[in-house]
Amino acid sequence: MGWRVDDELQQMLRDSARHYLGDNGGPAHFRKVRANECGFDAAAWRQMGELGWTGVLLPEAAGGSELGLDAALTLAEEFGRAISPEPFVAAAVIAATVLAASEATAASALSRDLACGARSVTLAWQEQRGSIGIPRFATHLSAGKLNGTKRHVPAWHPGTGLLVAAVDGAETIVAVVDPATAGVAARPARLTDGTIGAELEFAGVELDGDAVILRGAAADAALELALGRGTVAISAQLEGLASALWQMTVAYMQQRSQFGSRLSDFQALRHRMVDLFGEIELAGASWRRAASALTAGQDARMAIHAAKARCSQVAQDVGRWSIQYHGAFGFTDEADVGLYVHSGLRWSTWLGNPAAHRREALACHRRERGRNG
Amino acid sequence: MAEDLNLLSNDEFRQRWRSWLEENYPEEWRVPIILRLAGDEERRWHRMTYAAGWRAPAWPKEYGGLGLSLEKQLIMNREMERYNCARVLDSGAVLFAPALMKYGTEEQKQRYLPPILRGDELWCQGYSEPNSGSDLASLRTSAVRDGDDFVINGHKIWTTLAAHADHIFVLVRTNKDVKKQAGISFLLADMDAPGLTVRPIMNLADEDELCEVFFDNVRVPATNLVGEIDQGWTVAKSLLGDERIANGGPTLPRQSFQVLEDLIEGTGLLDDLGQTDRTATLFCDLEDLAALHSQVADAAIRGEVDNAVLGLMKVLATDLFQRISDELLRVAGEDAGLQQPVGVAGVALDLRKVYMVARPATIYAGANEVQRNIVATMLMGAAGR
Repeated sequence: MGWRVDDELQQMLRDSARHYLGDNGGPAHFRKVRANECGFDAAAWRQMGELGWTGVLLPEAAGGSELGLDAALTLAEEFGRAISPEPFVAAAVIAATVLAASEATAASALSRDLACGARSVTLAWQEQRGSIGIPRFATHLSAGKLNGTKRHVPAWHPGTGLLVAAVDGAETIVAVVDPATAGVAARPARLTDGTIGAELEFAGVELDGDAVILRGAAADAALELALGRGTVAISAQLEGLASALWQMTVAYMQQRSQFGSRLSDFQALRHRMVDLFGEIELAGASWRRAASALTAGQDARMAIHAAKARCSQVAQDVGRWSIQYHGAFGFTDEADVGLYVHSGLRWSTWLGNPAAHRREALACHRRERGRNG
Repeated sequence: MAEDLNLLSNDEFRQRWRSWLEENYPEEWRVPIILRLAGDEERRWHRMTYAAGWRAPAWPKEYGGLGLSLEKQLIMNREMERYNCARVLDSGAVLFAPALMKYGTEEQKQRYLPPILRGDELWCQGYSEPNSGSDLASLRTSAVRDGDDFVINGHKIWTTLAAHADHIFVLVRTNKDVKKQAGISFLLADMDAPGLTVRPIMNLADEDELCEVFFDNVRVPATNLVGEIDQGWTVAKSLLGDERIANGGPTLPRQSFQVLEDLIEGTGLLDDLGQTDRTATLFCDLEDLAALHSQVADAAIRGEVDNAVLGLMKVLATDLFQRISDELLRVAGEDAGLQQPVGVAGVALDLRKVYMVARPATIYAGANEVQRNIVATMLMGAAGR
C-alpha cells in the first residue's frame, strides 16, 4: 500500500472483496458474463447484496449497510482490479445516492431491492454525448406524462429499476419509471466492459401519482451529489484497473525472454513502467483528495474533474503499453490484458473523458482566481 | 515563542502568516522562481523570521523550532508561493539539521543548531565530485585520521552557495578496502579552514551559485565526525530523504504556472482552445502532484516512508517544472528570445532565466534517469539477474 492507508473498516472490506472477487471476478468471470443478456452476473449481484456492498450507501432503515463513501470507494478500487462488470458505480453509488435522498414510498421499495441485490437500479440523466455533470433537462413531465430522450443510460437491462431525471415546469424532478410502461422505447448497445448501455425514449409515458421521488432543490442536490460520488468512484475503479494491469504486465515482462534477457531487464521498458507507475500514484492521490473534499462537504468540483481526468488517462496509457509489452500475444483475445483494456475504454470515457475533465478543472481554477476569457 | 501556532485554525494561521509576509517581506525579493536569496540576504531572512517567531517550522520545539504540523508547514509554503517570494535554500535548517538531530552528539547540536536558527551561520552540502555525480557513492575525496584531526584531500563540485557558507558538511572516503557505500564518513569543516578554497562556476542562468570546493590537506578536529566512522552513507541517506520530499514539492511548478496564466491572459489567449487544452494538462499535472506530495509527506511524517514514490515525485515535479517553462516560451512568441523581462502586461519576468533555472532540476539530487533506475529496481527487481 505504501503511502495509501486503509482504516480498519476499509481493510476488512478490501480483504473480503479480494476474497470474493478472486473467485467471482477477474478475467474468467468477465469472459463468462460478457455476452449474456443483462451485461453482468445477476447471481453475483445478489451475493454482493448479501455482503452489504450493493447497499453500502443506503440507510439501514432501507436494508442498506450504510458504510459510507470511503468504504464504497475501497470496494470500487477492488471492482476495478477485478474488472467486475457488475454495476457497482451506476447502481450502488449513483442510483443509491439519489434513492437515499428521498423518503417516498417508491424510493424505499427500490432501495430495498437494491440493498439485497435482488435488482439493480439505474439513473437516466444524460441527454447529449460528451456532457459532464447535470445538464439542463429537455426531458419533461407535463400533465402526468413524461416526454424526452435519455442517452448513455448505464447498466441497462429490461429488469432494471429505473430513475429518470427531468423537469416539471421550472423544477427538477426524479421519477421512478417502470421500463415496461407503454411509451418507453429502449435502444440497447453492448459496451466494451460487457455491460449494456441504452438510449431511452419516453413518448407520453404516463406516470403514477407517487412516481416522483424528488423535486426542486432536493432533486438538484441529490443529482449533483450522486454524479460527484459516481465520478470519484469510477475514478477509484479506474485506478484499481490500471494498477492490476500494470502488475500483470510486469509479471509478464519478468517471465518473457528475448535476446537472452527478460523483457523486464531492458532499461527503456523499465523506465516506461516507472513512468506509468508514477501516473498511477498521481491517480491514487487525485481521487483520494477529491473524496476527502466531498466527504468534508467542501467545494470538490475541481478535484473531482482532476481525478476523473487523471484516472481515465492512466487507464488508457497503461492499457496502451500493456498491449505493446505483451507483444503479439497482447493482441489476442486469449490474453487477459485485452479484457482490462476493453473495460478501461468504457470506464475512462463514461462520465466525461480525460480532455473534457481537464478543461473543466482549469475552468474551476480560473473562476476561483477571477480569470475569465 | 510561547504561543503554540498549532492551536490556531488553519484559516487563522494562514491569515496571520499572510499578513506578516505582506507587512514585512521586502518588495525587491518578490522575483519568483528566478531569485534565490544568498549570503547576507539569506541571513537577513532567517533573522527576520527568527525575531518574529516564524523560523524553522519543521524543527521540533526542543531545538527551538516551531514544531508545526505538516498541514501548517504546507500552508506557509503555499502563501510564499502566492506572494511570489524568492527561493531560499536554507541548507543548514532543512538539510543538515535533521541529520544532526538524529546522529549528532549533544556537543555538536549545542554548537551548531542555535546559530542556524538565529541566521548567524550558513551551511553548504559537499557531496558531488567531478567523477561522482549521480553515482555518489563512488566519491574519492578522502579523510585520514592524524592524531586528534582528520586531514581532508579532494575536490567537490556543484556545491550550491559554497561561496556564501560558513561551514560545509562533507562526505569523505575513510576506508578504501570495503564496499563503496561502507567506507564513507560524514564530516564538518569550516569554510575558512586553511587549505580549503572555493571557485564559483558561472551557469546558464547567469548565476555563480554552484561552486567547486578544493580540499588541500584541510585539518578538521575528529570531534567534527557526525555518526560513526565509515557510517556516513547512513547519515547522508537519512538526509536525502528530506531532500527528496522538498524536491518533490510543487512550489516551482506552481509559481511557474502562475506566470503562465498571467502570460496567457496578457497575450489574450484565455479563450484559445488549443492553448486551453495544453494549459489544462499542465494544471492537472500540477494539482495531482500537489495532492500526491501532501499525502506522501503526511505518510512520511507518520513514519510510512515510501521510497519508490519519493524518487518518483522528484522526477514528476522537476519534469513538470521544465514542461511549464517550455510552455512559457511557446506562449511568449518572439519575446522568448529576449535577454530581459518580456514585454507582456502583468508579467515582469525574464523567461529565458525561468527556462534556464528549470534545466538543472532534472539533473541535481540524483538525475531523473538515475531515479528511474532506482525506482525500477524497487518495483521490478534489479535488471539482469
